[in-house]
Amino acid sequence: MKTVFLLTVFGGGLAHATLAPALRIADVAPDIPLIVVVLLALRRGPEFGCAAGFAAGLLQDAAAGGLLGVQALTKALVGFGIGAAAGRLAVTQPLVQVPGLVLLTIAEALVRFTLLQMFRFPAPFGELMAYVVVPQALYNGFLGAVLVFALAWSDSLKERAS
Amino acid sequence: MRGVLVLGTVVAACLLLLTVQTRGRSTPAADVLALFTTPVQSALAKVNRAAVNIWSTYLDWKNVRAENRRLRDENQHLRVESLQVSETATENQRLRRLLGLQERLPLSTLSAEIIAREWGGWVRSLTVNRGRGDRISRLTAVISPEGLIGRVIEVRSGASIIQVLTDPASTVGAHVVRTRTSGIVEGDPRGTMRLKYMAREGGGIQVGDLVVTAGAGGVFPRGIPVGRVRAIDDRGSALFHYAVLTPVVDFARVDEVLLLTGDTRHDLAAAFPADGGG
Repeated sequence: MKTVFLLTVFGGGLAHATLAPALRIADVAPDIPLIVVVLLALRRGPEFGCAAGFAAGLLQDAAAGGLLGVQALTKALVGFGIGAAAGRLAVTQPLVQVPGLVLLTIAEALVRFTLLQMFRFPAPFGELMAYVVVPQALYNGFLGAVLVFALAWSDSLKERAS
Repeated sequence: MRGVLVLGTVVAACLLLLTVQTRGRSTPAADVLALFTTPVQSALAKVNRAAVNIWSTYLDWKNVRAENRRLRDENQHLRVESLQVSETATENQRLRRLLGLQERLPLSTLSAEIIAREWGGWVRSLTVNRGRGDRISRLTAVISPEGLIGRVIEVRSGASIIQVLTDPASTVGAHVVRTRTSGIVEGDPRGTMRLKYMAREGGGIQVGDLVVTAGAGGVFPRGIPVGRVRAIDDRGSALFHYAVLTPVVDFARVDEVLLLTGDTRHDLAAAFPADGGG
């Protein structure tokens, strides 16, 4: 469990640090730690999702140099929420996960924007949504779809092998 | 229940962090976190740099590989072009010599291209791209700028078979230019020729002597170089002796020939170099 947790947090951070700049399209980069948190929270449950989201978000906060705790809180909420929903709703289906990832990215951004508004964050909401949040959400959805299908393929290979 | 506790703890920790920062105590909180995050960030940056370096190296290697392949292709292309130019120049030279010979000859000729070779030892023949349609007849003499090649032994539609001098069944009346010693040149299974039935009293032939056609049988005109004496077999008491000849024509390399279609009662010695060198 600890190993998976560390791999999630540091693997996501590592992927974000290494791959995100390379994956940038028209100045839009995916939020890889968020994708990793969501996909693993679906498999490991709300507690794991919450803790992983907190650690990954904190790492991102520290790396970004902004207010510590903002992304830690939003990602922890996302991780917990999606982990809890996995047991009750049909969120394990790939066709649900991908649009879900888009919506979760937007939801996480809304929570983050609300939190930052408390600290007088200057960026206007409309522009932020149009140029940053929605493109990133779509990108996350696309990348999430690739990862979801890769994981499904990997699972089917494991089943065949066993 | 445990999940809610975890969530509560995390939310509380985050809010505490945010509160501490808004109260102007951001530095200690950031410093405490930095104790944990900085080594991680540093490690991630190192991994990132290493990954970027590996990627750059890979791209460089890939580019160099692509360039290397392109240059190899270009080099090969140029080599082929160079060979083609060289081949064309050689062919041009060959054809000029053949044309020169054709113009010097006092009889009508037809040029032909070798399209096949039979080099088994039992039979030594060449196939040319002239046949019945070109009014080629059997026993037509075939020459090259160097000398005699042989005679046509079979005429087909669009092709003719030439029996070369080294064929074991080939016989040509000939004489040694220097001594006028007559004999019969026969082919040899080893790919050489023998000048046989030389009368002993007419001897005195030497290694290197040029042998040309005698022009007695009506098939071959007189004076066409056949070969050079390579060795002499003198059995002493025998009525005749013979000489081993090296053909003046390299049958394996000849590509174009002339078929003598006109009257063969001519002396063609003047059309060939006096030393038989081609």
